[in-house]
Amino acid sequence: MNFELLVPVCFAAVIALIFAVPLRAKAWVSLALTGIGAVCASARAIGVLATGRSARLWSFDSPLFGHDTGSMDGLSALLVLVIAVGSVAATLYSRGYLAHHLATKSPAHTALHYASLTLMSLSMLAVVCSDGGFSFLFFWELMTVASFLLILFDAERPEVRRAALSYLIMMHVGFVLLIVGFARLSAVCGSASFALLPAYFAAQPVLPLFLVFLVGFGMKAGLFPLHVWLPEAHPAAPSHVSALMSGVMIKTGVYGILRVTAAVPAQQLQTVGYILAGLGIVTGLWGVVLAASQNDVKRLLAYSSIENIGIILLGTGIAALGKAAGNTTVACCGIAGALLHTVNHSFFKSLLFFGAGNILSQTHTTSLNALGGLGRHLPVTGLLFLVGTVAICALPPLNGFVSELLIYSGMLTGIAEGCDTLAAAGALTALALIGGIAVLAFTKLYGTVFLGSPRTHAVAEAQEVDALRIGAMALPLAGILAVGLFPQYAVQVVARATAFFGTGHSILPTLPPLCTAVCRTVWILVAVVGCLAWMRRLLLRRRTVAQGPTWGCGFTAPNVRMQYTGESFAEGLQSIARPLTHDRYEGAPVGASEIIPQAHNYDIRHRDRIGTLFAAWWVEALRLLNDRVMRLRTGKINHYVLFALAFLAAVFILSVLDLL
Amino acid sequence: MKILDFILLLAVAIAIPGVINRTRALLAGRKGTRFLQHLYDLRLLLRKGAVYSTTTSALFRAVPSVYLGAVLVALLFVPVSDLPPVLAFDGDLVAFAYTLALGRFALILGAMDTGSPFEGMGASREALYGALAEPALLLVMGTLALLTGCTSFAELFATESASGNPIVLLLLAYVLLKIAFTESGRVPVDDPRTHLELTMIHEVMCLDYCGVDMAFIKMGGWCKTAALAVLAADAVAAIGCPHWWFAAPFAVVLMGCSVGVVESTQARNKLVRNTTFILTIAALAALVFFTAYLLQLNIVLS
Repeated sequence: MNFELLVPVCFAAVIALIFAVPLRAKAWVSLALTGIGAVCASARAIGVLATGRSARLWSFDSPLFGHDTGSMDGLSALLVLVIAVGSVAATLYSRGYLAHHLATKSPAHTALHYASLTLMSLSMLAVVCSDGGFSFLFFWELMTVASFLLILFDAERPEVRRAALSYLIMMHVGFVLLIVGFARLSAVCGSASFALLPAYFAAQPVLPLFLVFLVGFGMKAGLFPLHVWLPEAHPAAPSHVSALMSGVMIKTGVYGILRVTAAVPAQQLQTVGYILAGLGIVTGLWGVVLAASQNDVKRLLAYSSIENIGIILLGTGIAALGKAAGNTTVACCGIAGALLHTVNHSFFKSLLFFGAGNILSQTHTTSLNALGGLGRHLPVTGLLFLVGTVAICALPPLNGFVSELLIYSGMLTGIAEGCDTLAAAGALTALALIGGIAVLAFTKLYGTVFLGSPRTHAVAEAQEVDALRIGAMALPLAGILAVGLFPQYAVQVVARATAFFGTGHSILPTLPPLCTAVCRTVWILVAVVGCLAWMRRLLLRRRTVAQGPTWGCGFTAPNVRMQYTGESFAEGLQSIARPLTHDRYEGAPVGASEIIPQAHNYDIRHRDRIGTLFAAWWVEALRLLNDRVMRLRTGKINHYVLFALAFLAAVFILSVLDLL
Repeated sequence: MKILDFILLLAVAIAIPGVINRTRALLAGRKGTRFLQHLYDLRLLLRKGAVYSTTTSALFRAVPSVYLGAVLVALLFVPVSDLPPVLAFDGDLVAFAYTLALGRFALILGAMDTGSPFEGMGASREALYGALAEPALLLVMGTLALLTGCTSFAELFATESASGNPIVLLLLAYVLLKIAFTESGRVPVDDPRTHLELTMIHEVMCLDYCGVDMAFIKMGGWCKTAALAVLAADAVAAIGCPHWWFAAPFAVVLMGCSVGVVESTQARNKLVRNTTFILTIAALAALVFFTAYLLQLNIVLS
């Protein structure tokens, strides 16, 4: 049976099964199908990572796609594990999250959602296992369409339709570039497999094809300035879809960029390294500053995904520079850090988006300025969200710290050993700033949502979510704790995956001692904090511990509206970062001359300045041009025959004149 | 040896507030309090009970332990000139910066937990200033790595190669001192003795702590100051006298006297000027890095 037939039949069977089963069972069938796919793929992935040898998954000649192969090397295996954990957790979470939608949506609607969810998980697994070429593009497109349908779950809301449409358009612009890239590769090398990229780059100029792939994959990854779909699509999509897209799907873009970068020969790698590191710095800083300015939980998380993609690219760029200069330590630290951060980000971002889903479903809002004090009402969610927050700020003792430390050691080694010192120093400064502002953004998020007093009644009556959703959150939580507390094992796994980058196995002697030392530090930190907490308890045992109101500095009638809001928390940063945002005001603030202020309605939105790039004059010009062209579409068959005749005549004349 | 290093750091941490008070008293023409008055105050705090705000959650109670714990672990990375630190590995510079950041993170969340607008104000400022100071700190580490070719504190100051260009080292010490001023909430960034909550930064974040919790936070603050002061003193010591018996007392004198003099002679910045002040430190750090880079190129070329 050939490929063109087998895959559609399988996928049609999946869709038919989900549509056929009763409403209540759809989630479980979807979970079972995703689970089977995830377990099978993970089993192969663990085998690949354990032995260090890549495995051939499929290979056949088909009339439509030509010779096509799929295989799994270390990098694919690592991505497969990420996708497996992320999709199983998202599908598990969707059960509880969509439970109250089952009554309002039609069964077909729900079935379509679950079918898309399953297809998306399976197609992502297939994407990272394809060797490139047309099957890769096929699965890539399947993934895009499935995620488009997933975003459209709440299609009644106009902003959801808008976000989904802009997502679909941007993804297809990227897709066209990928087709161009693979077609070029296929034209020169005879096949469109990733394995032929080194041969292509060795013979042809590197930059044109590299840039085509970078933009094509960067569109999916959320690279600056192609990130504009991310902050629109994530708030529009249901939370488990946001988690799956932000935690897992954008990593397929990173995967593509890594594959292409690894194929560039060392002589030309320096330019590529500069491009990647530069883009990483801009993406990271842009993402984190915009994240700190947002006042919506899901938008903030979406921008923070952009930031983390920036960090991953920064690590890749440093690795490329290290490889170009022949410095194995820098290359290994950079690439291991980038890969580990890819894994880590999928864990904590899934966890945080699930947390955002809990907030949304229990309080019906994601606006920071309406929430507050949720830690009392959703204690488990609050605790899990705190873990995610510490991890994403790259603070010890959790996993974000380990991956950023690896990237930092790559940079510091680069500086110390004189390998692209200035680039490494620039990256170091940028990463430090990104880390610092990330702390600001996430203390703002956690502080205004979970701490303090509730700002509205709806929030004050919120209740904890069901155990199933907590169970779904436990999966990424386990990943965070495992990588954070036992980094030496995680780094062994990642070290196997770095083989694709062509730095050999020289990674093994340098990194494990470092990670053992990190592990020791982390446990010492935990122990010291534990001891201090115990001492504090001991000291307070015989003393009176009383309760009272918060000290209002002499003011005796404070109320919850006076708490610091998300907007006021980031005001200082805003005053510096104004050029990056396009602020929209409604109403007027309290004027300086108003001694006794009247009631004011004042609303401020910090829009992304790049967001308006795609609504600029040239878009309008394109639309007008399109209107002109559309005049040719008259709908009369005789006109079309005339056009065909004119075309043939033009071809004839051009060939006679030897212009073709 | 390693334990000696840690004990020495704690001694520096205890001595610095005493020297600050003495310097200030001397310049104001007062007799001043006992040298170890702050330790007596600490003992008093440790014996007290506690009052917690009804708004706060369990997180608020955990914050002081996390803060002090993080700062103590950060101390484990700091060498006193030639004395090796307790923990050392390649890249511990970053671990040092990020453990300090964990302390800051905890303190900010604790402040937000009280729901007080004043504490939110302090938290917001601390978050911004901390974020802006971070690049300066890591650039200093980067410069040290450039000078010595090592990426671990222990090797930075212990090796003979540490004797880099004296001007660069002095500038590094200056930048580190400025970072120490910022991080420990001293004039001109923040005034620990101000009476107006609206203008406070660090102190306002701890308004709702008392007793043991307050003691923990105070100790954490001293240790943090000591860690940065010792690093500055290490940089100076590396010029000619890389020994612990010079670096440790020098750290106390350097930090204590400079804080005392600045606080007796200068007013604090207007709050809006603080961002510029901290960004200037970062710019200075970048300049020092670039100078060191040019000097090194010269050495390589000639």
